Amino acid sequence: MRSFSLIFKQFSRSVLLIACFAFVGTYAYAQGDAVKGEALFKAKCTACHKLDQQVVGPALGKLITDETDDKFLTKWIQNNQALIAAKNPKAVTVFNQFNQANMTVFADLTDGDVANILTYVRTEWKKMSATPAPGTGPAVVVDKGPSKIIILSLLGVIVLAFIVILVLNRVITTLERLLAKNNVTILEEEAVAGESVDRLAFLKKLAKNKKFVFFVLLCGTIFLGVYTFIGLWTTNLHQGYQPVQPIKFPHDLHAGAMKIDCQYCHSGAYKSKNATIPSLNVCMNCHKVISSAFGSKTASVEIHKIYDALGFDPATQKYDTTKAHPVQWIRIHNLPDLAYFNHSQHVKVGKIKCQTCHGPVQEMKEVYQYSPLTMKWCIQCHKRTNVDFKDNAYYANLQQVHDLLKDGKQVTASLMGGIECGKCHY
Amino acid sequence: MLAMNKSKILGITVIAIVATVIISSCKDKRSTGWEYAPNMYEHIAYDPDQKNDNFKDGKTAQLPPAGTTPLGFVRFDYPNTKDGYEKAGLEVKTTLPQTQANYADGKLLFEHFCSPCHGVTGQGDGLVVAHGYPPPPSYSKGNSSRGGAMKDLTDGKIYHTITYGLNAMGSYASQLEPKERWKVIMYVHHLQTL
Ligand code: HEC
Ligand code: HEC
Ligand code: HEC
Ligand code: HEC
Ligand code: HEC
Ligand code: HEC
Ligand code: HEC
Repeated sequence: MRSFSLIFKQFSRSVLLIACFAFVGTYAYAQGDAVKGEALFKAKCTACHKLDQQVVGPALGKLITDETDDKFLTKWIQNNQALIAAKNPKAVTVFNQFNQANMTVFADLTDGDVANILTYVRTEWKKMSATPAPGTGPAVVVDKGPSKIIILSLLGVIVLAFIVILVLNRVITTLERLLAKNNVTILEEEAVAGESVDRLAFLKKLAKNKKFVFFVLLCGTIFLGVYTFIGLWTTNLHQGYQPVQPIKFPHDLHAGAMKIDCQYCHSGAYKSKNATIPSLNVCMNCHKVISSAFGSKTASVEIHKIYDALGFDPATQKYDTTKAHPVQWIRIHNLPDLAYFNHSQHVKVGKIKCQTCHGPVQEMKEVYQYSPLTMKWCIQCHKRTNVDFKDNAYYANLQQVHDLLKDGKQVTASLMGGIECGKCHY
Repeated sequence: MLAMNKSKILGITVIAIVATVIISSCKDKRSTGWEYAPNMYEHIAYDPDQKNDNFKDGKTAQLPPAGTTPLGFVRFDYPNTKDGYEKAGLEVKTTLPQTQANYADGKLLFEHFCSPCHGVTGQGDGLVVAHGYPPPPSYSKGNSSRGGAMKDLTDGKIYHTITYGLNAMGSYASQLEPKERWKVIMYVHHLQTL
């Protein structure tokens, strides 16, 4: 019995050992692990490389698949700068081809790591070239048709119209009955005279009904009055204005989801009168690399409008200034020339948040004018907001003047801002 | 006969309602509505964002002429090359007083201009990265693509990077003036120690 279990133990041990060897063997035979390679590639390489498109460095999919000399690739990836320093002809050619841009030295990558990356790139590229290249050119514009709100409000109007018609129907039947009771004879006479006369006669009857005339006049007066009042009240008031912009720039995505601060793009608001719309080079800080919405494989039409305006070719990553033309954003907030509004006074000195005046911009897909921008609006806030004097360099002078006056001394015009350029110059 | 009138009246009512809807829809969000003295909204003095036919490219906001130094700017005569970068790394040092106020300003500026990509703690994990932007290397643990560890980057090297950009990172010269760049660098040095 005992010897049997011993034999069994030995047997099972050797089977396990063989199984282990077999496993390790197949593992060593496979060139690399694509899953590990993917993680490494995404962590270390995507800053400069894409598989299908040149970014900072060349498009790697085809390049690595076509390259047969894995030793060179491994050396390059682990320490490209050593290869260039050693004047390896292949390395020097590539280096010069990319205007001597530097690729990071990855001395921490082992041969195995590099093999994993190469396997990942090759399998991924095979998959990508098997499926027809998804939209490398600008994608087709999709016409979304009328929005839900428009359709809903149209439905609302139709339902309302029906209700009005029903009510009027009732009124008319009542009138009909009244008329029928009082003027049976007249109606009969008219019936002989023909249709056109009939209608006029009916209207005349209505016109003689004082209550009805009063009711109509009252309705008319109210309607016209309200209409005129609203018309006058909203003249010069652009609240709610939301023009269609040449590029559908989504604030909800940039300032909301990605929490990019307003100052990143509207840095003028902290320094000058104008908040300024960012020039396109600011967009290119990110969009040089990002040409489509996150997770989408098709190029974004809107982002390609940035490229077109700059004459930028994403395939070669080069600018052609002869093709450039400015984007004409449509101004939304606009005070008339007779009023002067300064952003830095409010944002930097007054420490007021943009949202106090512009509303929840970080939730807007398209910007609209949130505040009325009337004089009443300015005045009301000025009457209700306290000035924050603490650590406020803008008021250093004022405090000095205050102290001088308290001590019974004289104050010169220069202390009141008489030597500030902006007080005398536009 | 009265039935005829009824349909007429109903017809008129429907027309009136439709007309009201059409008239009231004139005040739509795509238009500014009625304006009194509209020429007050078309500025005679040019705004920076305004179209301007006096210039060849049609923009009011023009770049300063090449070779000029704007008021309050310090010249930075190192070219946008690897050599310029190394040279700036050796020669350029901050002249900004290392005060608490400057540090606080630098922190705020870093959070507004750099953290979308580099992350609030400088680990290269900003929110833009979560939306598909390639992650930049960590200030404290990563390696620079131009050789060396990120935590050893000197004043001049970081200043060179902010001024000219590097590969995927754009130039921040149009968004940060020299003094602000030095404030940001103060804070980057703090992040390098994390
Ligand atoms: C800082 C940017 C950067 C990063 C990060 C980077 N590369 Fe590169 N790579 C380049 C540039 C630039 C070139 C073009 C050659 C040159 O100018 O040095 C290049 C070239 C290459 C080449 C082509 C060599 C040849 O013989 O044509 C390969 C392969 C390559 N990189 C692989 C990788 C891999 C794998 C990684 C990630 C481990 C990586 N790169 C990370 C910038 C980068
Ligand atoms: C990534 C850059 C970017 C960021 C971040 C950004 N904006 Fe904008 N903003 C723009 C662009 C481009 C326009 C012009 C296009 C438009 O009106 O949609 C604009 C327009 C505006 C306008 C309308 C300007 C006009 O014509 O009257 C306001 C107001 C505004 N932004 C406020 C904000 C506020 C507040 C924030 C922060 C919560 C913010 N923006 C963040 C780029 C940005
Ligand atoms: C700090 C980085 C950054 C800056 C600066 C930036 N963007 Fe973006 N933008 C992104 C990212 C990342 C996405 C993709 C996000 C997503 O889809 O989740 C994006 C998406 C977009 C989209 C939507 C694309 C689509 O089809 O859905 C438009 C349009 C756009 N950006 C325009 C602009 C414009 C115009 C500017 C300049 C005023 C600008 N962006 C500045 C990072 C940036
Ligand atoms: C006290 C209210 C107020 C605050 C706070 C405020 N704005 Fe404005 N903003 C205005 C008014 C008023 C206008 C119209 C100015 C004009 O037509 O001269 C305007 C115009 C703008 C414009 C378009 C025109 C221009 O000046 O370039 C942008 C962009 C803008 N604001 C962004 C911002 C941002 C970003 C912030 C926060 C940093 C901000 N605003 C804070 C009231 C405000
Ligand atoms: C949300 C509140 C708010 C609104 C709205 C607002 N302001 Fe102000 N404004 C302030 C505050 C607070 C100050 C004081 C800031 C400071 O100097 O400390 C100020 C200061 C000013 C000053 C400088 C006064 C001085 O001499 O020190 C001017 C000019 C001004 N605002 C113009 C306007 C105009 C024009 C509008 C309307 C288009 C407007 N403001 C709308 C809050 C507001
Ligand atoms: C007290 C008012 C006042 C202040 C403050 C002031 N200026 Fe002047 N400035 C003038 C006047 C008035 C003239 C016109 C003199 C003449 O035509 O002879 C002028 C002329 C000029 C000129 C010449 C313009 C030309 O075309 O001839 C410049 C440049 C100038 N100022 C710059 C400045 C700067 C910069 C500051 C701030 C440091 C400043 N000024 C502060 C009143 C002032
Ligand atoms: C749009 C994203 C983005 C923003 C915003 C950004 N960076 Fe970068 N940064 C990068 C990327 C990507 C790299 C890696 C570049 C490379 O090595 O190829 C980088 C690299 C760097 C480096 C290392 C340079 C070197 O010598 O290797 C420094 C320093 C740096 N950034 C500082 C800053 C500062 C300071 C700011 C704010 C003013 C900033 N960055 C804003 C994306 C960004």
